[in-house]
Amino acid sequence: MITVVKAPFAATVQDLGRPGYRAIGVPLSGGMDRDALIATNVCVGNAPGAAALELALGGGELRFDGETVIAIGGAQLLAMLGDRAVPSWVPIPVHTGETMRIERVTDGQFAYLAIHGGLDLPLVLGSRSTMLSAAFGGRLLRTGDVFTTANDVVGGPGPVPSVTYDASAPIPVVRGPQAAEFSDDAWHVLLGRGFRVSSSSNRIGYRFEGASIVHSIPSDRPSEPTCLGAIQVPSGGAPIVLMNDGPTVGGYPKIAVVREHALGMLAQRAPGSIVRFVLDD
Amino acid sequence: MTPTIVPLGESALLVTLGDRVDRETAVQVHAATAALRAAAMPGVDEIVPAYTTLAVYFDRALTLRALLERTITQIVVDVMRTPAAFGGGRLIEVPTRYDGVDLEEVARSTGLDVADVIARHAERTYTAYVLGFAPGFAYLGDVHPALEIPRRATPRIRVPAGAVAIAGTKTAVYPAEMPGGWHLIGTTALVMFDPQRNPPALLAAGDEVRFVPVPS
Repeated sequence: MITVVKAPFAATVQDLGRPGYRAIGVPLSGGMDRDALIATNVCVGNAPGAAALELALGGGELRFDGETVIAIGGAQLLAMLGDRAVPSWVPIPVHTGETMRIERVTDGQFAYLAIHGGLDLPLVLGSRSTMLSAAFGGRLLRTGDVFTTANDVVGGPGPVPSVTYDASAPIPVVRGPQAAEFSDDAWHVLLGRGFRVSSSSNRIGYRFEGASIVHSIPSDRPSEPTCLGAIQVPSGGAPIVLMNDGPTVGGYPKIAVVREHALGMLAQRAPGSIVRFVLDD
Repeated sequence: MTPTIVPLGESALLVTLGDRVDRETAVQVHAATAALRAAAMPGVDEIVPAYTTLAVYFDRALTLRALLERTITQIVVDVMRTPAAFGGGRLIEVPTRYDGVDLEEVARSTGLDVADVIARHAERTYTAYVLGFAPGFAYLGDVHPALEIPRRATPRIRVPAGAVAIAGTKTAVYPAEMPGGWHLIGTTALVMFDPQRNPPALLAAGDEVRFVPVPS
C-alpha cells in the first residue's frame, strides 16, 4: 500500500493508454515517455503496461506500507528514501513505514515511479491512465490518496538500461496531411533554427514560441481526425504538437507529424528548451 | 469527387471524401466508416469519422500502409457510388427541458420569441457529424438558419452536464461538466457519456437526433 503523504505537483497515474475509443472523442492518454514508463516497469518485474506514477514536477512525499520493490526512471528525479538518494533504473527494495521524498524533476519533464505489481486502480475503457476530464472523473494525485498494488508481474526485478535522450538532438518529423498547402517559407521556419517550448505546454499539447509559421490556410476548415504528434499550425503561426491527452479531432492544418519513436524525446523537453525539427520521411 | 488518401503520421491514413460540410457528405463518410469497419482489415485498430474525412489507424507491425491504401480505396469508391446501401444511423430522441440560462438572450439576438427558438430547435432532425472536443460530445447539425449565432464572446468556466446548447450551425449536449462557449438553451437528463456503460457514448457519428420538449 502506498499513501500520498504530500501530493507531488501535476502527478498522474499512467499506463500505455486507452486506444480504441477515438471515434467517441476519447484521447489515447498513457505515459508521455512511453519507453521510460516501460523500462521503469520492467525494472521492478512488472508487465510493460502496468500502471505507474507519472511525475511532472516533484514536490511530494509517499509512504510505503509493506515490503516491496520500486524503481524510478525517465527524467532525472531527485528523490530520497529516508536519507538515501534513490538511483534511477535499478530496483530498490523498500520496507514498511519508509517514506520517499520526491524533491524535483531535473533534466527532463516526466519521471516515472513503478511499484512491484503496478498500481491497482479500476480499468476505465481498458486502461488505468488518468484522463483529466470530468467525463472520466480523472484528477491529479491528492494528499491522502491511498493506492494498493495489483499483480501485473511478468518477471523478476533487475536493472534496466537507462532511457535517456540527447537534449539537443533534432526531433524527426514526417509530412503531415496538409504538408503541401504550406509554402516553402513556412517549411523553412518549421525546419529552421528551432522553437522554444512554451510554459503552457502540458499533456494535451506542446506549444512553441520563438518563430512563426506563416500561412493563409483558411481557419474554418472542417475538423478532421488528429494523431499523436501532429504539428498543428493555428493562424497565429505558433505550432502546437498534439500529445497524449490531445483532442481526437481538430481543424488546424497539420504541416507535419513527429515520428513515433521520437515522441518520448519530445515529451522530455521541458518548457524553455529549444526544439529543432528535421524532416525524416 | 474521388476519395483522396494521405498519411496521418506513421500509423494512420486520412481519407477525404468531400469538400463540403453537408448531410450528403456526412452520409458518405458514415457509410464508408461502416463498410471499412465491416471489412475488418487485419492490423486496423480504429476508424474515426469526421465531417468530410475519416481516419484509419493501424498497427505498423501487423500491416503495410500501401496494402491498406489499396483496400481502403476500393471499399470507399464502392461506397461512394451507393452510400444508401450501407444503411443509416439510428434515430435517437433527447427529451429536453427548454430551461437554458441563455434562452432569452438567444431569443433577443435572433429576434425570435422564446417559443419560436424552442420550436425551431425541436422541429429538426439533426445528423451527428462527428464526436470530439470531449468524450461523448457530438456535433449535431444543422440548426435552423434563424438560430445561427456565433459562440459566446467569453466561454463559461463551467457548463453543467446535460446542457443542450447551440453555436453557429451546430447544436450539442454537454456530456459532463466542463468549460464551454455555446449558448445554453435547455437540459436533458440523458447520460451522454458513461465510461462504465457499453457503449460509453449515447450517440455515434452518423446517428440522427431529435430534441423532444418536455415540461420544465
